[in-house]
Amino acid sequence: MNKERRDFIRKTGLGVLAGICASSGLLPKFSLEETVLPAWDEKPVPGKIRWGMLIDTRKCLNECSECVAKCHFVHNVPDFGNRKDEVKWIWKSSYEHVFPTSTQQFRTSDVLLRSYIAMCNHCADAPCTRACPTEATFKRWDGIVSMDYHRCIGCRFCMAACPYGSRSFNWRDPREGIKLASVDYPTREQGVVEKCNFCSDRLVRGLIPACAESCPQKAFTFGDLNDPKSDIRALLESNNTMQRKPELGTKPSVFYII
Amino acid sequence: MRINKTILTIGLPALLMFALLAFFRQSGNAVEAPKAPPAPVAVDSTKCIAQTEYMRANHMKVLYEWRNSSVREGNRVFIAQNGSRFQKSLKTCLGCHATNRLFCFNCHMYANVRPKCWNCHLSPMETP
Ligand code: SF4
Ligand code: SF4
Repeated sequence: MNKERRDFIRKTGLGVLAGICASSGLLPKFSLEETVLPAWDEKPVPGKIRWGMLIDTRKCLNECSECVAKCHFVHNVPDFGNRKDEVKWIWKSSYEHVFPTSTQQFRTSDVLLRSYIAMCNHCADAPCTRACPTEATFKRWDGIVSMDYHRCIGCRFCMAACPYGSRSFNWRDPREGIKLASVDYPTREQGVVEKCNFCSDRLVRGLIPACAESCPQKAFTFGDLNDPKSDIRALLESNNTMQRKPELGTKPSVFYII
Repeated sequence: MRINKTILTIGLPALLMFALLAFFRQSGNAVEAPKAPPAPVAVDSTKCIAQTEYMRANHMKVLYEWRNSSVREGNRVFIAQNGSRFQKSLKTCLGCHATNRLFCFNCHMYANVRPKCWNCHLSPMETP
């Protein structure tokens, strides 16, 4: 018997054994993520996808903050209850805070009284990635501006570079500020910057971003801006939309229907 | 003689208690125990990504490579030498290894190395 055949028999034998063990409950069911792999098994091609978000502010309810709560729970974002130590990935604010450079004169009172969702814009031309000396914050293959917390030295250049205030610094050990911890995502440590990751952790599991999923009003549309047939492109086609501070040339990937 | 007596007075009840304890433990187990004998989870090499000897010496290099290629390039799949595929994640390791709550700590304490993984990631002690 040649070696390959022996290998084959050994592998299939072991495979069957493992299968039987698993089905009979001999091997423990993993309490964490399964190691079985979904479709994303290839190294992605850079530039093919550009994830984007469209927020229909007409649907967003002033008194609701489900998206904030869900995101901050899923990603173990700490809450210390004071502004100085505040860490936020997504938040709600007024029109003049979210769109400070767009016209505010003689807007309808409805528009001025609404609350608007703000998060990292995952800018196509992101100033934060250029400011970071360690490349801890970088543009991913799919348009997401990602943080590699392993590399962050806490210099906060990126915070100064971001024109949207999307980044927060961990002045304290964030674990002290997490009341209910999620086991699906790590925490950060003291001395690193953090921000919205467009749920890259959920995208690899085939889930849409937590904010979009949690919204009872379905105000969020998430999709590929490079795909002309995507829902988000259809909505961009059929609605008049806005970006935050477009005059800065950062090319945000988050759009708003006002 | 005296000594023998003390041994008997202390030893006999102790023996009885141990026997009782063992009995209760066994009867306790018997209710929940699966029908088949417990599986050799810890030595199940079909689930390990590489040989134990290799991992003992090189796990830090493996994790370093996994971290960089998955976080920065999006290449999340590790193909082991025997062809099986694993997700490049600490969770892949802890899926099995967290059964030993002291898994990472024992060696690291002995070798006096203090990696900072657990400042952010859930350690074998904290995994559910
Ligand atoms: S919104 Fe700020 S943090 Fe996000 S990509 Fe743009 S510059 Fe960077
Ligand atoms: S704080 Fe971290 S992510 Fe921001 S610029 Fe400095 S090293 Fe880069």
